[in-house]
Amino acid sequence: MKLWEQVMNTAMLGTDKGALLDDAFPDELSAINEQLKANAELDKEACFLNQAALAFNYQACGFIPFRKEGINQPKAQPEEKLYCSTFAAQVLKDVLEIESIPLLEYWLEHCADASQLVQADIVTDVLDKSVQHPKLKPLMAACSGKLGEWLGNYNPLWDFFKITPDEEIWANGKQEQRVKLLQAIRKLEPKKALEWLQQTWPKENATAKLDLLKTLTVNLAESDLPWLESLLTEKAQKVKDEVLNLLKRISGSSVIRLYSEILADSVILKKEKGLLGILSKTSIQMKLPTGLDESVFNTGIEKLSSNKAVSDEEFIVSQMIKFTPPAFWEKQFAATPGQVVEYFEKYAPLFIPSLVAAVARFGTKDWALLFLTFDKFYAELLKLLPPLEQEKYLLRFLAEDPQTLIAHAMQIDNEWSPSFALAALREMAGKPYQYNNQGVFIRLIPVAVLNGLESIEPKEPNPMQNTWWVKDREYLGKLLTLKQQIQQAFNP
Amino acid sequence: MQLTEEQIFALAPDDASKKAGKDLANPAKWVSKGINEKALWGECQGSGSKPYQTQVDLQNIAFKCSCPSRKFPCKHGLGLLLLQARQPGLFNVSDAPLWVEDWISKRAVKEEKQVVKSEKPVDENAQAKRQQAREQKVNDGIQELLLWLKDIIRNGILNIPEKGTSYWENMARRMVDNQSSGLAGRIKTLGATRFWEEGWQTNFMNQLLQLYLIANGYQNRENLPPDLQQDIKTAVGFNINQEILKEMPGVNDTWLVLAKESRIEEKLTIERNWLYGTQNNKYALILQFFVAGQSGAISLTPGMQLQAELVFIPSTVPLRAIIKNQQSTVSDKPPAINPFSGWQQLAEFESRLSSSLPFRGEQPYIVKNLKPVQFNKQWWLQDEQEHLVPLNHGFRKIWKILALGGGEALTMAVIGRENKFEPIGVWRRETYSAI
Repeated sequence: MKLWEQVMNTAMLGTDKGALLDDAFPDELSAINEQLKANAELDKEACFLNQAALAFNYQACGFIPFRKEGINQPKAQPEEKLYCSTFAAQVLKDVLEIESIPLLEYWLEHCADASQLVQADIVTDVLDKSVQHPKLKPLMAACSGKLGEWLGNYNPLWDFFKITPDEEIWANGKQEQRVKLLQAIRKLEPKKALEWLQQTWPKENATAKLDLLKTLTVNLAESDLPWLESLLTEKAQKVKDEVLNLLKRISGSSVIRLYSEILADSVILKKEKGLLGILSKTSIQMKLPTGLDESVFNTGIEKLSSNKAVSDEEFIVSQMIKFTPPAFWEKQFAATPGQVVEYFEKYAPLFIPSLVAAVARFGTKDWALLFLTFDKFYAELLKLLPPLEQEKYLLRFLAEDPQTLIAHAMQIDNEWSPSFALAALREMAGKPYQYNNQGVFIRLIPVAVLNGLESIEPKEPNPMQNTWWVKDREYLGKLLTLKQQIQQAFNP
Repeated sequence: MQLTEEQIFALAPDDASKKAGKDLANPAKWVSKGINEKALWGECQGSGSKPYQTQVDLQNIAFKCSCPSRKFPCKHGLGLLLLQARQPGLFNVSDAPLWVEDWISKRAVKEEKQVVKSEKPVDENAQAKRQQAREQKVNDGIQELLLWLKDIIRNGILNIPEKGTSYWENMARRMVDNQSSGLAGRIKTLGATRFWEEGWQTNFMNQLLQLYLIANGYQNRENLPPDLQQDIKTAVGFNINQEILKEMPGVNDTWLVLAKESRIEEKLTIERNWLYGTQNNKYALILQFFVAGQSGAISLTPGMQLQAELVFIPSTVPLRAIIKNQQSTVSDKPPAINPFSGWQQLAEFESRLSSSLPFRGEQPYIVKNLKPVQFNKQWWLQDEQEHLVPLNHGFRKIWKILALGGGEALTMAVIGRENKFEPIGVWRRETYSAI
């Protein structure tokens, strides 16, 4: 508008530098403008202010809305799933308000399992959390339905609904995406993952090779051996090290064969008759062969022990035991697994930790049970035990070293039993400064604990710590109540 | 009356009360509880030996609790309302205990007393003298203000952004000294112009010219119609005695609370409640001022409907009102509304208002079937006739509106003036939700 532009120009420079021109005024305002100019009582500033006020109101009264034809914005497609209940939606609001991401994940999992959707009035609050917590994106995509997908078209921060074909991600995706994809394929179709990696291997750089090789750790099999063995000639040392690491997990690999051959000659079970043949003497003799194949030291085996109590020879053997499948000892000692463990315990206890490491490495679950009665806690065995055995094993050592044991318990996949949870929480109550983040592992604590929560007190009363614990307990109670409500909301 | 959780939370004085109230929405915390058509009550076991007695007037939402909290409503009142909203089956309909009956009847008596109180005789001579003295002071202040405005215009506004805060504060203080708090507020707004943003010049001049119109209008008020005189006096800072207002005829209607906005200025909470009269198709603004952390005399929450008589402050464009008489708080399905058909009709209405009162503030409207659309990398609200009004780039609730509509047009309540409007609520499945 010409008049308003003139008003602004004059206002910017000031009335000392100029006045409004008459031709700026539209015909309908000319008469009033003339009256203002003719008013002798008005100085030039007052005259301008009156003229500008006139222009201001003329503009305000003449607003015409902008019209644009043909803007057709697509609508969200109709939903194929049902929305969650009002109660479930309310629980979700409470979870968002208390800002518990583990409980948000728990809610979304239940919603996805029930094939339901987040209600439209809170869907944006949920999607907003995807920026800081990207691992929740797949669950959010599953629970926000067609509406979420439609919103993702407009908000670049929520652009995770588009499904890109695996082949395209593998060919053109970011390194992080490719690694995630290969991990997923390896879990379900191990051979396909290997084939894909073989196809692109020559084009990958050393860093990519390392990351992609690591995905093969899952579902390793004899069929992977030929290709992995061929990679031992790779130029990059870090790639070669990773190949060796993988080969050390497959029983038939050249490196494990080499260790087995050496161990077969070096660690021998000796049974001797003594004193007129009445008494027998059993021992494990350990001696590395003279002229040990030096190539063994190219496979990551260290030569020198850093512990005075362990000789170099013992150190070398213990390392090889770690990478040798436990079944080797059944043949070597002509004994059952139970007997093998007994022989090592009696005659070569130094090698027990290496044997345990081998059991964990090769996932021999039946062997794992043989170590549970030992006086030492072996954390690596936990993942091989069934849930109840895991808790029994942890409970045996909990009082001795609660900090370490609770740290391991937090790594367990399954929810704790109420009795274990109460025992662990009793330990935590004594160290409230250390365990002030129950929210992080709320998934592990069963709802049944709610009944006994109020009775959990620190073993040794300490007023300062007690106050802290009472607050923690209250917070834990809120989280558990929400967890219970989530279960009720999706399993009415 | 049944409030939703959102509506209950909107009554909370702060976030901490909201959270604490939520924790108390637990049946285990309540020793006894009950409800009838007038009140909701309960006894909450707190840290003291006796449980706190908490009560809510359901007809005209109000709270009372025997706890020592200075917050209002306290966490117990909020918790009790929340519990009732979540689990209504836990509350038996029964006669109220004596302590509830007492309070409810005292509230009714208080209302009557207020009416009697207003009938006390007033010393009209003394009042006239006080009025005259004030008008003189305001006149002096306005003379000074006009000189100051002319000074700005003579030198040009080019270098105005370089002025320090004292430039604006000193003049605002002068206006306060001259009992013109309305003008002081406008000077502060002028100084708070976003000088770093493109187009600040237009915003600055719009504010400055409105200030000039009020100041100049005050000097010439005797030649103006009575309503416009009142508008100018209100803008300068003259308040109308509420008791006098309450004697004026009001507008009886079922009022829907469209939105509630609170801001804190110098330890004072200023609460703006935007209402829509569903039968008379009128909009109203109820202002409340109270100490931060507490609650106003009237507890309104978006989506709530009041059966009430409102008295509008005399104006060429009546909007600001007080509640003269509140019969009950109802919240059934909202009755039929009469929205604007689109931006064109609204623009014509706005033009009429601007021509009557150029320095008016923003106003709420209900507009039929608006659809958020993207055009030229910006969000707009498109009506059925394909007219568009832009939304601010920083309007964060756009995603919520998109989610509620999923691309479908929604009837919306908006606040603004001329061509700048922001949505404050939507109708979805015939239910109004503030956003």
